[in-house]
Amino acid sequence: MRKPLLLREPSVMIFISLLAAFTLIVTVLSEGFGLGLVSTSMIKILGKTLCLCLIAIAMDLVWGYCGILSLGHFAFFGLGGYMIGMWLMYERTKDIVLGSLAGGALPATPQEIEDAIGTQIFGVVGGSEIPAIWYFADSLAAQLALVVLVPGLLALVFGWLAFRSRVTGVYLSILTQAMTLALSLYLFQNDSGLRGNNGLSGLQNLPGLTDVPQSIVSVWFFLASALALGAGYLIAAYVVSGKFGNVIRAIRDDEARIRFMGYPVEAYKLVVFTLTAVIAAIAGALYYPQAGIVNPAEIAPIASIYLAVWVAIGGRGRLYGAVIGAALVSLLSSWFTGGQAPSIPLGIYTIDWVDWWQVLLGLGFVLVTLYAPNGIGGLVDRLVRKDAS
Amino acid sequence: MSALLEVNSVSVAFDGFKAINDLSFEIGGQELRAVIGPNGAGKTTFMDIVTGKTRPDDGRILFGEPMMDLLRLSESQIARAGIGRKFQRPTVFETQSVRDNLMMALAGDRSPLAVLRYRPSGGDGERIAALAEEIGLSDQLGRVAGELSHGQKQWLEIGMLLAQDPKLLLVDEPAAGMTLGEREHTTDLLRAAAQTRAVIVVEHDMEFVRRLDCKVTVLHEGSVLAEGTLDHVTANSDVIDVYLGR
Repeated sequence: MRKPLLLREPSVMIFISLLAAFTLIVTVLSEGFGLGLVSTSMIKILGKTLCLCLIAIAMDLVWGYCGILSLGHFAFFGLGGYMIGMWLMYERTKDIVLGSLAGGALPATPQEIEDAIGTQIFGVVGGSEIPAIWYFADSLAAQLALVVLVPGLLALVFGWLAFRSRVTGVYLSILTQAMTLALSLYLFQNDSGLRGNNGLSGLQNLPGLTDVPQSIVSVWFFLASALALGAGYLIAAYVVSGKFGNVIRAIRDDEARIRFMGYPVEAYKLVVFTLTAVIAAIAGALYYPQAGIVNPAEIAPIASIYLAVWVAIGGRGRLYGAVIGAALVSLLSSWFTGGQAPSIPLGIYTIDWVDWWQVLLGLGFVLVTLYAPNGIGGLVDRLVRKDAS
Repeated sequence: MSALLEVNSVSVAFDGFKAINDLSFEIGGQELRAVIGPNGAGKTTFMDIVTGKTRPDDGRILFGEPMMDLLRLSESQIARAGIGRKFQRPTVFETQSVRDNLMMALAGDRSPLAVLRYRPSGGDGERIAALAEEIGLSDQLGRVAGELSHGQKQWLEIGMLLAQDPKLLLVDEPAAGMTLGEREHTTDLLRAAAQTRAVIVVEHDMEFVRRLDCKVTVLHEGSVLAEGTLDHVTANSDVIDVYLGR
């Protein structure tokens, strides 16, 4: 008999319980809904961290389980942010434009409204025309569909070309990084139709809900992020716990062998690559409204490399490892670089953590690789096994 | 006897070196065959060609009932058509349990979506138990395959091949690194397997080949030098010259 998912993977039950408890406590302590002990900016940091945990799960699925070291998943994350950002920015600008045109003697024509919106959004890159890719920007449903479709199709086409040509290992990593870099450079151009290096901004404001204070909106997004993370964890656990999980781990460990067993390896890789790209995109679509801005720098290759570092530190091949790594490193990172970490005066030199955090992270990565190759999750495994014996 | 596998004047060269040179070979549906030959005779390349890993420059390979052209198929399609291969080095999935190794090998739909929806049935459990019995690993099913001894890994791999239920089994040097007792068990496994399917064993251990007690094909410089019983081929003067070297 096959046990239900929650019992088969003990980490699922523990994780979902912890996530639910954490979400509840934070909500009760928030400014918007409760005691006001957790500030709105802190809620946003926590909500964003949950999104980063979600993309870390995607990374763990594609790298830790299937052995594809993708250095491009942050591109899908960023694209998800752009897709939802287009709707947020367009509709919000439309509200503002309608408000300012309302005082006129004659009602504004649709053409005037569109011109005004175009000037508002694209004036910064010297344009006033709304590019064709913004065609659906006034429809939330359409842009939500694009959040899934655009990164999903990109991953599908890219993956199909790469896997079909049997590009593996470090060559595939380089290829994914090249894809990320190309996308980032393209978005940096002013005529890309997505405002060049300015990116999309003001995403924290929900169109039509301007009366709702950020203290409330932030909790909404925090809750949505927690829900998405929980769902993502469940989906990932479902994928890796059955025979499919056995097969993708077999692909990671010995691709040729499983191919001679009759498994179409390329199809499996494509399924995992595309599924994780979609998860990453959804995480991004929840992250950027909390960050308020998405720009091409977010898609730079370094972001995807950080993602790999989080998963390595947390522990590859364990879903909770990815979550621990992403949460720990990104929270530490925002603490160290946020100027809150106390500087260490050494007399002749002062260690300022804003500059030295990267060094600390690099050192931590080296230490983990050398002394705990299975990451923090591996240490957890060792403790659990000790208890069991 | 109609042939299960027909290899017709196949040639393949690597950088000008003819690894396989106008090789023709045939095997019936339920037959055990040993392929022997000195190093560099093309034994492994022959297996690579049949399993789709290497594409020949020339020739035809037909397989199955009705005969299909193997050169049109990918490795995984050839495997699904019914050709299983055991590599020289035991390759099992070391981080996974013996049961999971066998479960993955069990014949069935291999497409990603079917595998995602896969639920182990009682029949699959019985198949795995029967296979484990056959390869002598019944009490090891829950163990991680990486913890098995060298010989046990070889058997697990043979068990995985039997689980695939192939029509043709290619086995590369199964006896390498085995103790005498393990060799005997392996011989039994292979002979039992050949009752219901074709088995080709590539081996250069003469003692092991004698134990298999089957028709022998001698390869030399990429083509067939002699074919027949072991006594017949070892009496062949060409074989004595190139292989036995005495």
